[in-house]
Amino acid sequence: MLDALSEAISIILTGEPLLWLTVGILIGIFVGSLPGIGASLGMALILPLTLPLDGVNAIILLVSIYSGGMYGGSIAAILLNAPGTSAAAATTLDGYPLSRQGQAITALAMSAVASTLGGFITIVLLILISPFLVRMVLLFGSPQYFLIALLGIAMIAIVARGSLIRGVVSGMFGLLIATIGMAPMVPQQRFTFGDPALFDGISFVAALIGLFAIAEMINLAGEEGGVAQTDMEITGSIRSGISSVLTKPYLIAKSSLIGMGIGSVPGAGSTVSTFVSYAEALRSSDDPDSFGAGNHEGLIAAESANNATIPGSLIPTFSFGIPGSGSTAVLLGGLIMHGLQPGPNLFSSDLQITYAVFIALFLGNFVILFVGLTFISRMGVLTKIDTDIIIPMIVVLAVVGGFLLRINWIDVLTVFGLGIIGYYMKRYNYSVIAFVLGIVLGPIAEENFARSLTLSDGSLMIFVNDPLSLIIVIAIVALTIGPAIRGVFKKQLG
Amino acid sequence: MSSKYTEHNVTAEQIMLVVLVGVSALFIVEPVLSNYPDDARVFPQLTASIVFVGSLLLLFRNYLPGPLRTFVAESISITSTDESDIPGSEADLEESETADEEYEAETLGAEYGYKVDETTFMVVTTILYFAGGWAAGFLFATPIYILGYTLWFRTSPVTSVLLAILGTFVIYLFMTYLVLPFDQGHIFDFSPLLPLLVEPITGGGV
Repeated sequence: MLDALSEAISIILTGEPLLWLTVGILIGIFVGSLPGIGASLGMALILPLTLPLDGVNAIILLVSIYSGGMYGGSIAAILLNAPGTSAAAATTLDGYPLSRQGQAITALAMSAVASTLGGFITIVLLILISPFLVRMVLLFGSPQYFLIALLGIAMIAIVARGSLIRGVVSGMFGLLIATIGMAPMVPQQRFTFGDPALFDGISFVAALIGLFAIAEMINLAGEEGGVAQTDMEITGSIRSGISSVLTKPYLIAKSSLIGMGIGSVPGAGSTVSTFVSYAEALRSSDDPDSFGAGNHEGLIAAESANNATIPGSLIPTFSFGIPGSGSTAVLLGGLIMHGLQPGPNLFSSDLQITYAVFIALFLGNFVILFVGLTFISRMGVLTKIDTDIIIPMIVVLAVVGGFLLRINWIDVLTVFGLGIIGYYMKRYNYSVIAFVLGIVLGPIAEENFARSLTLSDGSLMIFVNDPLSLIIVIAIVALTIGPAIRGVFKKQLG
Repeated sequence: MSSKYTEHNVTAEQIMLVVLVGVSALFIVEPVLSNYPDDARVFPQLTASIVFVGSLLLLFRNYLPGPLRTFVAESISITSTDESDIPGSEADLEESETADEEYEAETLGAEYGYKVDETTFMVVTTILYFAGGWAAGFLFATPIYILGYTLWFRTSPVTSVLLAILGTFVIYLFMTYLVLPFDQGHIFDFSPLLPLLVEPITGGGV
């Protein structure tokens, strides 16, 4: 472990990763601060442009956009009451009232410091628990990897609000789309209908761009264009913001752990973790009545949980290839695109890469702190950019990104086609994340499914005949059938 | 005169579900018709069957018996965070999002008495942009798309032109340095015009 850690440090110290992490954080803060845009969209657009980069640098860039985006989301939440990302929704509750009270700078400073500390605590914790993760991941073989992919889809389908069937249909449709092209175990072209453009299948990166860029832009087009409706005067004190955070170490530690814990559950993500953290701060506060009216504890709880969710969400993403959110789905796409298979390798032969990403995240928090505190009074400019200007530019970048992948028109068609389908899925409460997960995990899931059946001579019993598989199968059944049975019972009992 | 038939409007969700039923049926039948080997057939047929059954259940959920209808239609969540105690919680935000959906932008069309839903406009222009780019090349379709979109939403003409130039420049940059054929369409080929357009700007340098 220590060897890998020192190798990771030397990778980071080569300089190039530091450049990409700074670039990533800045892009992340920019896209995160634009309401309706967010980190996942920024990551999806940047993903094809990372092709010329080394795998480590590409992942560091993507994870830094993710981290910067999480912080950036709080800027519009505090200044405009319009969270840049859904994760920043809880930040509006006390952040915006503080701005209205003339403490916008105080609130932004609190947000920067609390985000940074939340990130610091949980990344150190993640590095400390990584040896245990390695042991856990090594227990998994082909049948378990297939089952864990199904478990991930089931969890996301359920955690996402909406009917279970909708979530399952979304996830399975993603898996279905991923089967187009060459079969993994035999040389057989499938569902290509003789068109050579489909021989390599549907690019999951194009799908990610479509689902996160085009679908989001269609959604955004129907919302109010001019973001900044009021000219908020940005006043307050950086010093009082910093001291307010530093005097509440217990709250920060507690909120960070909540963020990390919930972040590690696929599908739960930062939207849930920030609200849970906020609710816990409210419950344990001596002054619960002031929550919602500019309480510092409320803002600190939401913000420290927000960035702490990132290391948590990396646990299932790196260990099992199960992303917990849209951003981690794109990150998973980046890992696969750069030949880094999630799973045992990332915790054994490629452990130095994993640690390099963790260290980059750790250092990225310094950049967040520096940018957050240095440019604090100018942050309002970002929130004034009109979405009607952003939309066509993002559509153009999506076209370039899509075509750049393989110089294949099918990828541009995928960007537009899945973008439109993704919009309607979101509109009718079908889980887009489950759909994305299906597309990204499709080849891995099918390969492990086919390999398991080969090992068992075609018997499906391989998926239940060892304790670990059985536990996962029971978890899948309990997750999918359990809430439905509970709902029916509740209804019958009145 | 009253009618015994209830009026049903076809929703976009129903159209989407019909598409899912059709696609999944194709993925079930095609391996049989084309004699795929078992290793290439089982997984897509399995997933397609789930999509097929799930989509049919969703499509006909209003006609299902009670418990099954509850299972298919009702929202289920294992996240039990009670946000009702939290002031201005996500539930409230969702309400405000719904309110946002009713927002009507000032558009060029509205000025001339044409009311077009913003989302519909976005979907249609996106499809037209793709079709135009495929047919005539994205280098030529991009400025028209950006100008059309921004002017429709009453962005100032100067900003619109600047954005169109910026967007076209991005396309041109990728086309030149990564040799992407954005100047060639599948139906119309305007690429011979490109030197005429570029040379006055670059002085024949590129």
